[in-house]
Amino acid sequence: MANTFPGAFPRIPKITVLSPDAAFVALFSQAFAPEEAEVTVWPRGRGALEHLFLDPPDLLVVDQALSDISGLELVGMVKCENVYRQLPVALVLDEQELADGVDWSAAEVDELLTRPLTPTMLRARVLLTLTRALRTFDANPLTRLPGNTSIISRIQELIDRREDFALAYADLDYFKSFNDKYGFSRGDEVLMMTARIIVNTVRGVGGPTAFVGHVGGDDFIFLLPPQQVEEACKTVVASFDDIVPHFYDAADRVQGFIESTDRDGNLRSFPLMAISLAIVFNRNGRLRHYGEASQAVMTLKKKAKANPRSCYVLDTEND
Amino acid sequence: MTRDLRTERKGRILAVRDLPTLPNVLEEVTRLVERADSSTEEVAKLISMDQVLSAKVLKMVNSPVYGFSGRISTIQHALVLLGFNVLRSIIVSTSVFEVMTENMVGLWEHSLGCAMACGELARMLDFKDAEEYAVAGLLHDLGKVVATVQLPDLKPEIERVVAERDLYYLEAEREVLGFGHDRINAWLADYWKLPPNIKEGLSYHHKPHLAQLYPEMACVVHVGDFIVRVFEYGFSGDVGVPYLQPEAVKILNLTPAQFEILLDHMCDQYMELVAGQSS
Repeated sequence: MANTFPGAFPRIPKITVLSPDAAFVALFSQAFAPEEAEVTVWPRGRGALEHLFLDPPDLLVVDQALSDISGLELVGMVKCENVYRQLPVALVLDEQELADGVDWSAAEVDELLTRPLTPTMLRARVLLTLTRALRTFDANPLTRLPGNTSIISRIQELIDRREDFALAYADLDYFKSFNDKYGFSRGDEVLMMTARIIVNTVRGVGGPTAFVGHVGGDDFIFLLPPQQVEEACKTVVASFDDIVPHFYDAADRVQGFIESTDRDGNLRSFPLMAISLAIVFNRNGRLRHYGEASQAVMTLKKKAKANPRSCYVLDTEND
Repeated sequence: MTRDLRTERKGRILAVRDLPTLPNVLEEVTRLVERADSSTEEVAKLISMDQVLSAKVLKMVNSPVYGFSGRISTIQHALVLLGFNVLRSIIVSTSVFEVMTENMVGLWEHSLGCAMACGELARMLDFKDAEEYAVAGLLHDLGKVVATVQLPDLKPEIERVVAERDLYYLEAEREVLGFGHDRINAWLADYWKLPPNIKEGLSYHHKPHLAQLYPEMACVVHVGDFIVRVFEYGFSGDVGVPYLQPEAVKILNLTPAQFEILLDHMCDQYMELVAGQSS
């Protein structure tokens, strides 16, 4: 089985095809033998969404001509969620539709398939897309949020454009003791939960263009317009404090602390995890370089960490 | 019943993809979600009134894709973690069954009434996260819904056995299907990776004293189910009221005085609900 699929894909790839076009769908069985790819077909878009979200395939092929929802709109719904961003998407169009001018900068598709299409061409395009998706992204492997390269370039871009923004740096208190006691996979659950809270809150406040990045470990950053950042911080703190107790075993949740070993190996008790946020502002082009923003926020972070409870600290001195 | 037939039916139950949901809740949720100033609490409250949407939301947030399976058991937390975008997608992909049987409409009211009683009881007993008890109450008969959707041919047979042989719905299910909705609930809870406390509430509400891990949860749902049947709010599939397990009252340390207050409260709440629906 190992090498039947020439793209060196580690397993039989799952391909989901959303298309009402029976002739196009039939091309897949000509292009791939059944043991090469597992192809699932949905003639309509809406019904497929839940399935896509629950069990994402390795490649999603979306026909622009879906009857119930535009292909690009559906792609947008899938791609704006951090956990599904890595899913490669191929859009299917009639070649003459290209003349109408598709806004490719807004379309979050990874590959384009144009009708009329031959089985050979389809096969090549699918192989290429799958292989490309295997290459590393600058995304955090756990949360799939943008990593440091993207974070730095996004901040520098805003600085260069002399745009006002607030940079928030979030990290967890007592995450290490939780990890020590419960193990790293339970720790990963907490990081995934934290990422979802931040993503949903920041997007809820700032709209889909707001930026959230995962620096690594329990450190996250987000960027928002200065006037919106405090509301976001309040919501993140409230949601985190509300939800995090459920990630502890019942006994620890009830007693409100855990017993774990500290850095010197001594057994001691630690409070439940809290989230600390430090926020610096760039107004009127005060900052010149990413490094200044990062240094300012790290200094402020110490202040936020001094409080054992969840809290946020705004940089009022330089504001 | 042969093992093969049973396995085949379990397979058909778990092939469940599209559960029906109530159209009016769907519309209201959509409207609320699309309004910029709506709060998570408002949306959670609405979702909590629909057993199918609630189940879908909990199933989604506990799916391995999000990376914290089995941790989230309240609708409000689920909405914070899923976000409105995913919620909207769940709603648009929820296919609404145009024709809802009378039985299922009554079952929805029965479930809602049970959820209210469970929440009230949990608050009265000062249990933490009373909302989770309400969720279990709301979903306690989900197995009945899924069975009628997935095995529609067997539903008239169950109803016939209930009517002709004067059996409880659960007994008739066991007779006809080979298993009851409590068993279906356990399968669904595993299949959807719902948290263990919700699973026990769903699968042990008819035999709460046998629940191993979360007996309080199972007992609260048992008592909630009993209360909503006493007041005949909604329709569970049975005409009568089943036996209230004395062990459940004992495990919960529920005094007769508390029980009386609870009955009074629930009577008022159901009256209010009926008045609200007819106005």
